[in-house]
Amino acid sequence: MQDEPAMKKERETKEDGRYIIFFSFESGEEEKAPSGEDEG
Amino acid sequence: MNQLRWDPTLGEWVAYATHRQDRTFLPPKEYCPLDPTRPGGFPTEVPRPSYDIVVFENKFPSFTPDAPETVGGYDGLTPAAPGRGVCEVVLYSDDHYSTLATMPEGRIRNLVEVWADRYEELGALPFVEYVFVFENKGEAIGVTLHHPHGQIYAYPFVPPRPKKELEAARRHREESGNCLHCDLLAGELDDGRRVVVEGEHFVAFVPFYAHFPYEAHVYARRCAPSISDLDAPERLDLARVLKKLLVGYDNLFGFSLPYMMVMHQAPTDGGDHDGVAHFHIEFYPPNRTGDKLKYLAGSETGAGAYVVDVLPEDTAKTLREAVEGAGR
Repeated sequence: MQDEPAMKKERETKEDGRYIIFFSFESGEEEKAPSGEDEG
Repeated sequence: MNQLRWDPTLGEWVAYATHRQDRTFLPPKEYCPLDPTRPGGFPTEVPRPSYDIVVFENKFPSFTPDAPETVGGYDGLTPAAPGRGVCEVVLYSDDHYSTLATMPEGRIRNLVEVWADRYEELGALPFVEYVFVFENKGEAIGVTLHHPHGQIYAYPFVPPRPKKELEAARRHREESGNCLHCDLLAGELDDGRRVVVEGEHFVAFVPFYAHFPYEAHVYARRCAPSISDLDAPERLDLARVLKKLLVGYDNLFGFSLPYMMVMHQAPTDGGDHDGVAHFHIEFYPPNRTGDKLKYLAGSETGAGAYVVDVLPEDTAKTLREAVEGAGR
């Protein structure tokens, strides 16, 4: 894992006028942890 | 309607947001509004088939940037003010069943980056004096949606608890010349009995004066005023310490532990908080045992005096063993 993940930030406006921001990262999470099925 | 009303007996604002009565309450999994919008599926809050981390304005905000001016009838002892602020929802993952504890350390590290981004952007708004990052987890805390998410309230005032903490820290600074939190952390490390996780840059411990049996605080070793002031190695270590603590919490009673997680850091009110504000995260799990909850009842709610059934030294030992047991 790198110390500084490269963050990408995309800002959009929803149909009702509220904003939504999509964050994505080039480094950081590669592996997927198992889900806690008892949480739902 | 978003409105603030001043309580002159306690000297604090109370926020009213009447539209929140209609907010979504524990929908079935197939109608989770925080899931991505799957092809052919119902439209959720996120109009994409998958996502990494998402932040959006809360549909049922306690504060809004365009709250109307309060008109007439509120002055003197009981003034009112617009509930002006920002409320955001932070989606940690598009996996409905994950939790912060089950997520890879790398995802938590990315989340730290997002929290810092939101602190900076929201704190720069002229009407925002305090950026409060928090998570309510579990039905015992009153969550209305199970999808892994946290929230951010950008308040138009410094809220009472952080304010009281900052005032105590300022007094300590004036009397001793030291940061209160640095001195507390030094004391905890010196004693050692309540330390739960020791990282290179962060330490998790049950404070000497814990208000909840398994309350834990995560302190930066360096006197960084806010999450924004953390450097890259510190952000990485924060993710590591959080992961260990959270896995330990889940290992404590053998189920995904409910908690409130809150961040305390420097206000964004333009004041000088160096050496006074010290970034840290506080966790308040409501469980005192696997099947019994600690309620905020008469003494806690009416008198503000917490009564706790177990000593922090004992719960810290149990929690430390849960962390170590999970790591084996």
